[in-house]
Amino acid sequence: MTGPALYVYAVVPDRPGAADGVTGIDGRPLRLPAAPGTGLAALVHDAEPAPYQGTDEDVRRRVAEQDRAVVAVWERTGALLPMTFNVLVAPDPSPQDPRTAEERLRDWLTSRAAGLRSRLEALEGRAELRVEITVDRAESTRDDERARALEAEMASRSPGLRRLLARQLEQLRRESSERLADVLHADVRRRLLAVAEDLRERSRGVRDPGEADVLSAALLVRTEDIEAVGTVLAAVQGEQPAARIRFLGPWPPYTFADLPDGPRDPAAPEQEHAPERG
Amino acid sequence: MKPTRDPRVTLDDLVEVLLNKGAVLHLDLIVSVADIPLIGVSLRAAIAGMETMLEYGMLRRWDEDTRAWAERSTGHRDLEPRAGERHIVHMRGGHLLEDGFQTTWRPGTVHLTDRRLVVMRREPREVLWETELAAVRTVRPETERSVGGEQRTRLRVVLADGREALLSCTEPERLRALLASTCPGPLETSPADPERQDGEAGDGGPAVLEGHLWYHEPRRDGPLWRGGQGRLTPEALVWKSPLDARPALVLPSDDITAVRTEPGRSPAGGGRVITVETASQGPVTLTADEPGRWAGALDSLRTAVPLPSA
Repeated sequence: MTGPALYVYAVVPDRPGAADGVTGIDGRPLRLPAAPGTGLAALVHDAEPAPYQGTDEDVRRRVAEQDRAVVAVWERTGALLPMTFNVLVAPDPSPQDPRTAEERLRDWLTSRAAGLRSRLEALEGRAELRVEITVDRAESTRDDERARALEAEMASRSPGLRRLLARQLEQLRRESSERLADVLHADVRRRLLAVAEDLRERSRGVRDPGEADVLSAALLVRTEDIEAVGTVLAAVQGEQPAARIRFLGPWPPYTFADLPDGPRDPAAPEQEHAPERG
Repeated sequence: MKPTRDPRVTLDDLVEVLLNKGAVLHLDLIVSVADIPLIGVSLRAAIAGMETMLEYGMLRRWDEDTRAWAERSTGHRDLEPRAGERHIVHMRGGHLLEDGFQTTWRPGTVHLTDRRLVVMRREPREVLWETELAAVRTVRPETERSVGGEQRTRLRVVLADGREALLSCTEPERLRALLASTCPGPLETSPADPERQDGEAGDGGPAVLEGHLWYHEPRRDGPLWRGGQGRLTPEALVWKSPLDARPALVLPSDDITAVRTEPGRSPAGGGRVITVETASQGPVTLTADEPGRWAGALDSLRTAVPLPSA
């Protein structure tokens, strides 16, 4: 046995003490093993080499705990590359060259140091914001004459005809809100991109049939520009009463933490860090 | 407006982002169960994403292994591919044989590759009809009433040399959209359904030109070329990226004040870009494999005498 595995929360700039007093999932104490000479460290706890499993409630609680720990360290370091849930580094038990999990993690940080550092620099002083905009379908046809005429007609008709008219009204609301959503999406996207450094759209899982999705996006924003994003959204809300806006964050840059250049760092050739074995 | 971090509001979103996003360490470092690296649900999402990217032709620059794996994962084919030819989609369908003596629907499978549109019968094996995509000029949905009285949409395909074919398929709208994104030049399309009475079809009405189009999207730190689908109707030019949920550009035709092509660095490689002057958002830069056709269509839209509204 070559020791425990490491549960990895994030790659961070090496600042000793940045995790002091911060606890992780299930209250585990956190450590910051550094890769000497690289200026990099990882936020970890010592773990069994097995992933977390459990009920949805357990996952939700642990995700919240992971997020709390990452946010606490992020606020001290100003930049980090957050990992996804359940990233574990196991010890390498190969008989020729056994390595502890910490050695493997340190080697990995060292071999990819240039790419990791440049990604950290690009994320320094930036936060992720989440913007979700929908339009209320009924509200979006409030000023539509045809919709008003249909509504008025429904009031005076037999139940059978009312059902028919209700279907027509629903169809009208759907088409009109889809058109509004397209135009609004193009407009809001353009205004947000004038403030945000990056914007990535996501598909939204839960849908309310009474609403049309307009935009669901993660924004990468300089911390001093968070207020400007809020100003854009407040203006959109003022112009478009049918819009429903959710504005979440600031979060560590979860959506923008993807590592550059695929699995290996071209600036650090593999052979420098993988000496001949055998 | 201020962002909220209240966990009662954000927990669902956090769970979603932490299971799907965040960095993944170099794969062989990660503990694996039954050889499947533990990267949550992102592997499944990656496969679904691959299918979309194959359909939109976004895998053009990917390495061969990734492409071969994605193609293996996304369905079989019975069309003999040419060297380097990429399968995009196949669906049941047929070709209407009109040879002067008879008019017969011949059923088979419609195959779309990155080079050809082919209708094939497997038993006995015969290519019923085929064309190179470079020759396709127009793809027009046509609706007819079947013997049973139900409406069916066929695709009328017109080639550069004037030859025409009528094809049937299980998903005509999907095939039309895929043709528009795969054919090298823009396609002319026209009314989806002459019988449909509701003029407000929700999609801005009939397209006059549709195809792959590059949009120079303005950004805080300088504009970025993005590839996507352009759709030009009498009402508006609409541009959408496959990565976005909705169009990133909607230019109403009455907002367009001038259209010109000019020399410029173009991701399409032609060295010319299209500049569209607009009243509401200033100049908008686009380009395509055939910028002249797009610029011409945009300009004719601008100069067209507005139709009296029905």
